[in-house]
Amino acid sequence: MPAKLPQADFEVLIRRAGLRLTEAQIAELYTAWEHVEPMLERVRAPGRGREAELALVFRPEVV
Amino acid sequence: MRTPTIAEAAKLIAARKLSPLELAKHALARIEAEDGTLNSFILVTRERAMADAEAAEQRMMRGERRGMLDGIPIAHKDIYGTAGIATTGHSKLLKDWVPAENATTVQKLADAGTVMLGKLATHEFAFGGPSFDLPWPPARNPWDRNHFTSGSSSGTGAAVAAGLILGGTGSDTGGSIRGPASLCGIAGIKPTYGLCSRYGILPLANSLDHAGPMAWTAEDCALLLQAMAGHDPKDPASADRPVPDFAAELGRDAKGLRIGVARNWHEDDRPVAPAVQAGIDRALDIWRAQGAEIREVKPPSLRDYQAALFVILTAEAFSLHEPWMQERFADYGELLRDRMAFGAVFAATDYVQALRFRRELCAATAAEAAEVDLLVTAAAAAEAPRIDLVPKWESLVRPGFTAPFNITGWPAIVVCAGFGENGLPVGVQIAAKPFQEATLFRAAHAFEREAGLRDRRPTLTAALAA
Repeated sequence: MPAKLPQADFEVLIRRAGLRLTEAQIAELYTAWEHVEPMLERVRAPGRGREAELALVFRPEVV
Repeated sequence: MRTPTIAEAAKLIAARKLSPLELAKHALARIEAEDGTLNSFILVTRERAMADAEAAEQRMMRGERRGMLDGIPIAHKDIYGTAGIATTGHSKLLKDWVPAENATTVQKLADAGTVMLGKLATHEFAFGGPSFDLPWPPARNPWDRNHFTSGSSSGTGAAVAAGLILGGTGSDTGGSIRGPASLCGIAGIKPTYGLCSRYGILPLANSLDHAGPMAWTAEDCALLLQAMAGHDPKDPASADRPVPDFAAELGRDAKGLRIGVARNWHEDDRPVAPAVQAGIDRALDIWRAQGAEIREVKPPSLRDYQAALFVILTAEAFSLHEPWMQERFADYGELLRDRMAFGAVFAATDYVQALRFRRELCAATAAEAAEVDLLVTAAAAAEAPRIDLVPKWESLVRPGFTAPFNITGWPAIVVCAGFGENGLPVGVQIAAKPFQEATLFRAAHAFEREAGLRDRRPTLTAALAA
């Protein structure tokens, strides 16, 4: 599935982060963005409960 | 002389039937003979090794051995800081960096009397690989040097499998101990988050980074972990709790253990190759025959863990490397810089949502595993691919089996479970609840003893094999 974020917007985000990539490098990265976007959507799943709110420290022994 | 296991060597040294000096010379000779094509070492510290071995020899003669690891040759992944010895991260950016102090775990292993042979190849900064555009070539798989080791603890995996070292250190942020353990046919454990200090180890992603040992057997990993574990106030995530005896349950079979099989991971989310499935089935058959109760569990999809891990890892890694990514982008290898660049694109809310998702995944995993002692699944989907045919975006396209236990922080071990196409090894992954490493070692050791796979080593040069 094609990425929702247009390549021009992707390039703006890369430049905003201070990365000085060539157009070819950005184009290469953008080819993989279609795999990253679904992951961002997955972590933003709606309906998250209170139990998902962060503690200050990650403590695996209490989960 | 074949390379012994750590447990074997320790017994021989204790009985004065094996000299630490001779053992160190054996390891150095193997490195010299084999590593020209394996590339598992970045730096061989021959003089240091001989000095360490001489000291161990003297302690042996005086009857003052420090324990099971005294005189045992090991090496460190080259993200572990070593005082006065270059620590490069396998990167051009740090190729001349010499730390002033040891990582806590390096010091602990030195205090235990180990003999340090040198520094081992890694994927650049424990993230991108296999890369062919770095100052050092990538490590190759001793079972077939045209094939991949997995990573990022690639040098440790290759050197242990080839018998160049008896054990070594690795790190695991998304599977970097367990992947090489699987593809190189050895044992490797990612301990519980917080069990081993990360102080002095080049970080990748703070909330996911784990330090741990790799060796030929689970028993050897237990011996190494015994020395590496323990509270360190210099690591803010270090767990302040007593270190148990990890060998306490070795020798017990699996009777009474409740083992949950996450078939939805290795049969549905990412179906594994026949040899991997056969390895998992072999392990389950052995444990069942020993009296374990095998049942099915269904934790969340691998893609959920993959998504949370990728966002958290990449964001945390980019935050560490941001100044160099901005100023010295071209000095990184292509694979690392391209993977890490996605961290520049994420919004702050993406990261926070991933952390929230992580909490849900931890809770769901714990609920699903509430009635079992161990979880079992694959470690890698198949045998090692050719090193020149590893797809650049593989980790984005297909979810891995190791991410769930970086997300949850639970301990997980991988041991060799069989051999597949062209004699390449496959592994099985066993996970436990936090700080239950002794149970992991018990199950892994019970399987290894019964499966009889540890007598088979890669075929190396004719002169050494003879």
